[in-house]
Amino acid sequence: MASRRVEENRVAFQRYKEDVKRDGKPFYPYAMFHDTVMSLVVVCVIVGLAFVWHYTSLLGPSLAAKADPGTVSFVPRPDWYFYFLFYLLRIFKWPNSVILGTVGIPTILLILALAIPFIDLRRERRLLRRPIAIVAAVLVALSMGVLTYKGATAKEALGAELLADVPNWVKSEQLPPQALPGAKLFATSGCLNCHTYQGVGGSQLGAPNLSAEGSKNKGITFQIAHLKCPSCVNKGSPMPSFAAFGNANLRKLAIFLEASKGPH
Amino acid sequence: MPRRRDRKEQMLAAAQYPLDWLEERSGLIGGLRYFLFRKVPGDSGWWHTLGSATLTAFLVQLGTGVILAMYYKPDPKSAYESVQHINNDVTLGWLVRGMHRWGASVFIILIFFHMARVFLFGAYKYPRELNWVVGVLLLPLALLEGFSGYLLPYDQTAYWATVVGININGTGPFIGPFLASFLRSGPEITGDTLSRFYSIHMLLLPGAILGLIGLHLYLVVRLGVSSPPWSPEAAGRERAEPPPVPGSGLVNPAPRGVTKRPD
Repeated sequence: MASRRVEENRVAFQRYKEDVKRDGKPFYPYAMFHDTVMSLVVVCVIVGLAFVWHYTSLLGPSLAAKADPGTVSFVPRPDWYFYFLFYLLRIFKWPNSVILGTVGIPTILLILALAIPFIDLRRERRLLRRPIAIVAAVLVALSMGVLTYKGATAKEALGAELLADVPNWVKSEQLPPQALPGAKLFATSGCLNCHTYQGVGGSQLGAPNLSAEGSKNKGITFQIAHLKCPSCVNKGSPMPSFAAFGNANLRKLAIFLEASKGPH
Repeated sequence: MPRRRDRKEQMLAAAQYPLDWLEERSGLIGGLRYFLFRKVPGDSGWWHTLGSATLTAFLVQLGTGVILAMYYKPDPKSAYESVQHINNDVTLGWLVRGMHRWGASVFIILIFFHMARVFLFGAYKYPRELNWVVGVLLLPLALLEGFSGYLLPYDQTAYWATVVGININGTGPFIGPFLASFLRSGPEITGDTLSRFYSIHMLLLPGAILGLIGLHLYLVVRLGVSSPPWSPEAAGRERAEPPPVPGSGLVNPAPRGVTKRPD
């Protein structure tokens, strides 16, 4: 025995089929004409973008420098349609709630999207009579647009500019002279693409502020081990390994980090 | 004159023969005829082209991807140089690569537009729930195509974005670390990682996407598309009186356009 709702749905769909059969138009040539025009527009847009990419610099370089695992400065940036996901990491910061940003919210959104037809069981399709659906759609579109925009415009500091900040760090953190090589390396090695230090650097990946890292007194050995393999020391850490820097450079970085006791 | 007519009939029969042969053995001609001449709601229009536009973008990805695969070498030593070769030496290689690179963005945008259209039309409701589910499953697959393809040029952006992307996978509960080490094919990013991403990007994901698109289209043809919800002529709309019974010969005997059908 089908419920009343199921019965009404079946009747309505039967009516739909009869209406289409009686009053509908054949797919060819009517709908197919629309589809063909639209598809041509799509192909033209794609070809146009390829031309703009090739002949202008509006869409960025066609190829960056060759990948180098031992590099000293890099900008980890996904393709634009991941910006909204990446920007979530700025809101849900490492380490307490990062799982929410990386896995939690995308998974919840996906499950919600899959569940929509099983939650919204009414037959009503007119927009003004589906206020919850409209509000939800507008909120999702707005938040994705805002997150994408924020992700696209998130500030990324360049190593060369950051180097100019090192004297300020020495002053405000009262860094000893032996921490200076590490500070310069820290400024130019891409650490600040993810981390912040004394108010500079990018935090769109949610990495912690390192201004007072030394006040935790974890020790130089720990710092070197962590730089070599972050996830071995800090389970689940998304930070890449910097083992390719070599022991001497890692020791400089570790001395600098341990000397950073926070602003005085 | 009769001879001429004979000749014409013979010609028609000869042209018809291969089609009849195929139809008798496969039923494909009948299927194609059903697909082309099936009725769609009279008020369907530009809104309903977003799905086929998405399909077109995917076909562009397939075509350009096949050409790129002819020149690309999934090996850390030569991947970057092979992409440079495509860009600089191969005839129109820059165009094919540019179309693949930006076709991906267009594909993703169109998926979201198509999804928004279906949502606003309420077209996911009975009996089209399953097709909505198939479509939602296609979205993460398309995003994963973008993610796995991003590494392949093997430049700095590609490499480091993938390092962080894989590490983010690793933060997931329970399966996260396994997933990350599966994607890397080990504890470090190596040549195996690149060929693994290449295989996922051009075999696993496109295969899954093609299969789901096939199911998606089958369900579209089987269930039909929804009229715009605001249309006064929407197919299946509620009526004060029961709709005329088609083929009864009593309610609507005149050709359409001559008399107005009672609503």
